[in-house]
Amino acid sequence: MKPDPVARLLAALPRAESAASPVKDYPTLRLAAPADILAAARILKDELGFAYLEMVTAVDWLGPVSLAGFVSSANPSPFTKKAPPPPVAPAAGAGIAYRPVLDMLWSFGNLQTGQKVFLRLEVPRDNAEVPSLTSLFAAADWQEREAFDLLGVRFSGHPNLTKILTPDFLKGHPLRKDYAHEKDAYDED
Amino acid sequence: MKTEEPLVSGPGLEMDTMFVNLGPQHPSTHGVLRLGLTLAGEVITKAFPDIGYLHRGTEKLMETRSYHQCVVLTDRWDYCSAMPNNLAFCLAAEKLMAVQAPPRAQALRVITCELNRIASHLIFLGTYGIDIGAFTPFLYAFREREMILDLYEALCGARLTYNYIRLGGVASDVDADWTAKCREFLEFFKPRLDEYDTLLSFNPIFLARTKGIGVIPKETAAAWGLSGPNLRGSGAAYDVRKSEPYCGYETYDFDVPLGETGSCWDRYFCRVQEMRQSVRIVEAALAALPGGDLMAKGIAKLPKPPAGEAYAHVEASRGDLGIFLVSDGGTAPYRLHVRAPCFINLAILQDILVGKKVADVIAVLGSFDIVLGEVDR
Repeated sequence: MKPDPVARLLAALPRAESAASPVKDYPTLRLAAPADILAAARILKDELGFAYLEMVTAVDWLGPVSLAGFVSSANPSPFTKKAPPPPVAPAAGAGIAYRPVLDMLWSFGNLQTGQKVFLRLEVPRDNAEVPSLTSLFAAADWQEREAFDLLGVRFSGHPNLTKILTPDFLKGHPLRKDYAHEKDAYDED
Repeated sequence: MKTEEPLVSGPGLEMDTMFVNLGPQHPSTHGVLRLGLTLAGEVITKAFPDIGYLHRGTEKLMETRSYHQCVVLTDRWDYCSAMPNNLAFCLAAEKLMAVQAPPRAQALRVITCELNRIASHLIFLGTYGIDIGAFTPFLYAFREREMILDLYEALCGARLTYNYIRLGGVASDVDADWTAKCREFLEFFKPRLDEYDTLLSFNPIFLARTKGIGVIPKETAAAWGLSGPNLRGSGAAYDVRKSEPYCGYETYDFDVPLGETGSCWDRYFCRVQEMRQSVRIVEAALAALPGGDLMAKGIAKLPKPPAGEAYAHVEASRGDLGIFLVSDGGTAPYRLHVRAPCFINLAILQDILVGKKVADVIAVLGSFDIVLGEVDR
């Protein structure tokens, strides 16, 4: 019989709730506090057989992305005289509650039953800190480093929370919506 | 050939360590991967993979591009097997838009993805042979891969970055000539698989270099989040095509090959057997190719999916490729995250290389079959 992860987690974490806007077709649970993620992950892994950490990432809900974060030159193509149209800044979506939070997302899988469960947690943008899952899942190591590098989430308890994808000299976290590119030695004039 | 524990502690056994850079420009790192190895004699005491040399920020680039343009960017992740990349993105976007590809498009998606799996595993087979010191299989593997690339070229004009699977369907149709060529290839390819076994799989030197090397137990593999043949080589029967079938995979009869011990050879042989299964799937799909449209109705030129979040994943050639897509109702994805199997598969290297000899590093690294385009995105 397949375990029901949402019911079990809701029983253990009374402050958590079933997410109002779930990831389509998957059970999604919204946690109330950063401390809950460790407890939830432990229950998922030890009791329910969700021993596979699929994904760690986050969504920055600040608003439409700023064009200052993109490097662009007027005409990058040596083959055409006409420059392509400049990138257009995406417009704000109607009725979307943009807010200065990072919406964390964890996904756990059960390899035996093929089930999946998503956990979500909102943390403030300017002080994004959540507990690291490296003590439970080795797979958290690099994925948390990626989220740290690109989104600026600090994972407390991570043994080696360093940049992983972007170069050492790059300042800021590129996947944040207000990221602005600073000119460096590798930019053209 | 057993790997030894490093003798670095104990009185009178203090040894100077040496730091060795493997890569980023090294033929056996399959791209721009740098491995920093600390050695005590011949034994590795610390290993750190250094990645990011190929980071192009595709997730960020997609935030200003339309959904149709994003499909083009997906080709650039795992460029050795670009069809599943297209597919994963399209499935996620189609989920948001609540459309489904018509049956003929779904069958064509399956055919092209499975052919791509064969082509990708052939690259692995050839280059892994070279890594170990067997040059000949490479030439055979690339001869067969070339035939698949010719099929792709006839189908969509591209040999590497296809942009064939589009939102709501596929870009072009196959004709009787193409299906005949495809069948011809499959008939040519089936006996070649036995040839590979005699050439490489059961070659005593190859066996000595790979069997029992780099063993990953089932639990460790799951804990590190390995997927694809790397996970199945350790004996865990997890395949997205079986656990969450997409594009009608539930209608095809195929097996999921498993390894026994999780050694380099198990991961290798898992891929060889997967090619047989892919041949089976393509044959069945060609035989039952339904007619009808190639594109779902109602896909706009500038799609604006309703606000929401969707996750879709496919069994790509190198593992479980997942796309988490957030839309705020605009013309570009608000946020896109790639669960890149190569990136996650590579992380275990820092753990399992410790205690191995230098000579085994290439054997272990090669057995993971990484593509740096996907590791760094």
